[in-house]
Amino acid sequence: MGKRIIVGMSGGVDSSVAALLLKQKGFDVECVFMKNWDDKSEFCFAEQDYRDALRVCDTLDLPLHTVNFSEEYKSLVFSYFLEEEKLGRTPNPDILCNQEIKFKLFLEYALSLGADHIATGHYAKIERYNGHYSLLKGIDKEKDQSYFLYLLNQYALSHSLFPLGDYTKSYIREMASEANLATSNKKDSTGICFIGERNFPEFLRQFISEKPGDILTSNGEIIGQHQGLMFYTIGQRKGIGIGGGFGKKEKPWYVAEKDLKSNQLIIVQGHDHHLLYSRKLFAGKLHWIGETPPENGFNCMAKIRYRQIDQSCQLTLEKDNSCIVSFEKNQFAITPGQSIVFFSGEECLGGGIIEKKL
Amino acid sequence: MYYFDHCATTPLHKVVLKVMQKTENDHFGNPSSIHSWGHKSRSIIEAARSQMADSIGCSPYEIVFTGGGTESNNLVLYNMIYSSKNHVITSAIEHPAILKVLNRLKQFGVETTILKVDKSGIVNPDELHNAIQQNTGLISIMYANNETGVIQPLEDLSHIAQKYGIPFHSDGVQTLGKIPVNVNDTGVDMMSFSAHKFYGPKGVGALFIKGNTSLKSLILGGGQERNLRAGTENVSGIVGMGKASELAKSELKETQAHLNKLEQIFVSDLRQNIKNIKFNSTSNGLPGVVSVSIPSMESGKLLIGLNRRGMAVSSGSACSSGTVKPSPVLKALGLSNDLNLKTLRISFGKGNSEEDTRELVKAIVEIVTRKSTYG
Repeated sequence: MGKRIIVGMSGGVDSSVAALLLKQKGFDVECVFMKNWDDKSEFCFAEQDYRDALRVCDTLDLPLHTVNFSEEYKSLVFSYFLEEEKLGRTPNPDILCNQEIKFKLFLEYALSLGADHIATGHYAKIERYNGHYSLLKGIDKEKDQSYFLYLLNQYALSHSLFPLGDYTKSYIREMASEANLATSNKKDSTGICFIGERNFPEFLRQFISEKPGDILTSNGEIIGQHQGLMFYTIGQRKGIGIGGGFGKKEKPWYVAEKDLKSNQLIIVQGHDHHLLYSRKLFAGKLHWIGETPPENGFNCMAKIRYRQIDQSCQLTLEKDNSCIVSFEKNQFAITPGQSIVFFSGEECLGGGIIEKKL
Repeated sequence: MYYFDHCATTPLHKVVLKVMQKTENDHFGNPSSIHSWGHKSRSIIEAARSQMADSIGCSPYEIVFTGGGTESNNLVLYNMIYSSKNHVITSAIEHPAILKVLNRLKQFGVETTILKVDKSGIVNPDELHNAIQQNTGLISIMYANNETGVIQPLEDLSHIAQKYGIPFHSDGVQTLGKIPVNVNDTGVDMMSFSAHKFYGPKGVGALFIKGNTSLKSLILGGGQERNLRAGTENVSGIVGMGKASELAKSELKETQAHLNKLEQIFVSDLRQNIKNIKFNSTSNGLPGVVSVSIPSMESGKLLIGLNRRGMAVSSGSACSSGTVKPSPVLKALGLSNDLNLKTLRISFGKGNSEEDTRELVKAIVEIVTRKSTYG
């Protein structure tokens, strides 16, 4: 009997093919559908995802179990998300979910069921060298998801498999349709998992009350009203409600800053406005996958948002697990609350939370 | 085959029978059980849901399986009890599964406006527009009529409903397998279907419920079908419906051409042989559905004569057979009571041949000209 692997099934095409690949390699595979969000509304995407996961497991002749982490998700991930939103920051709950739920609670659960490893449909790779585990980018550079996994530790990596890391997305879809999996043509999920395709401001309004305030230009001129700072992101262009009007050749407006104290939204005109750029930022809550931080003045690459091209930078370590990051080039829209993730070539070293631009 | 009553019901497609037999033999698990028997049953239900969704152009999560077209209609209409806007607009040519329910709902304070139809059986969009009130909470207009085959301009009608944000339901029971059905193109929020009208099993139906339309269930119990239809699922029935819907779509072109051909033969042959007949159906209605009034003979007698020759047709709608009341649908078209009772509905199906059709005409002509029901 091969090793026992428990695959976290989301009901999407990626985790479906992860299960398929592991089965083909002769592992003893079982699947678990994780429910992390209890949707009280009648229109629940999780139900459809479960249905799809079931059909895939039926086709692959694999058992499917379910586990409900929605209480834990609420207290460990969603509460953090709301707190950050209230502070006018732009959190990334999916990263925290990976750390707290998928690669902690789900891992523990799978091990308690007798699994040797868990597997997920992430596009990333794990490499073992001298008893030490590294997280690497996936082969498909368009889909690489190592950014979302930077909070994983050695223990989690030693018990995880990412079967998709060596494949491209298009190949995965091909495999799915060849194997006749019900999810082969399913659209990729976009956005934060618990919000799904819903309207983000509408969703937020259920939890945080609106707090209207002024929209100011960088010269201090009031030119409009906003409904609450949480509805805006640094660098956002669309949906500010201030436009040049038809026929006017005015440059578009961008959100440059959110001043929580005065509840003011500061906007600037033109993508090239200097207030939108900085070469330095301050980041906290640093986490290093290799467990030891790099030396002061370390040169590496970084992403300050998912899918950004790697940027060359230098780290100045500060106290309390924080650092100053100095980039070689100016960075657009450095956004507090977002994660900065460090790379050395293909390897994901770790990362932290952006506190502010400097 | 001399069965010409496919609007009443259809024989089971052979392929459908096969998958249903396999389901009953091999997959008896309760779909709600969390062991592999249950998972298997649940999984094949979900595959059937995808088939049904594909056949009408929606997402699987927009399909709820029910106990039939009538139940689907009841589920939609009974929700008006909970609605603060309790006025419903419907048409005079609806099936009793709409009109009788609305009549019952009067005692719960639900008001209904019943729209007339024009001579060709069509609901006038302007009249729908005029009937809308402040408290209109639902519009329900059937897609195609079961007695005449007339197809409503759903797009135009649902467009008006959208303008006022009023949910639009349509009884689509007669359409699948006869015309292309795409729920998004028609612009409806809900549509009812019944498996046995398209060579599937009896006792199973479906309701399309568009994305964010919220409904309360008619039947309470376990949380099956997204809490909208409690009770352990009719697994083989649902699997049969899924397969039947898939075949309805894949065989549609062939079926349509076949039905049109039979209808054409029937209409022209009958016209040549019997004088003064009046067709209540038109060539742009459902293919293979003919409503014809023959002034020289009551349909009841004609039916007996045909039955003695082993031939099945219907007078008015199948549901009103056995009673000699004039059909309300034909009445709505402006037919006199006399002609109403002299109307036949012939609905062809996949199993009928051109030869069968000519035999049917021959038999009708024989009975009508000899004024004798004996063959």
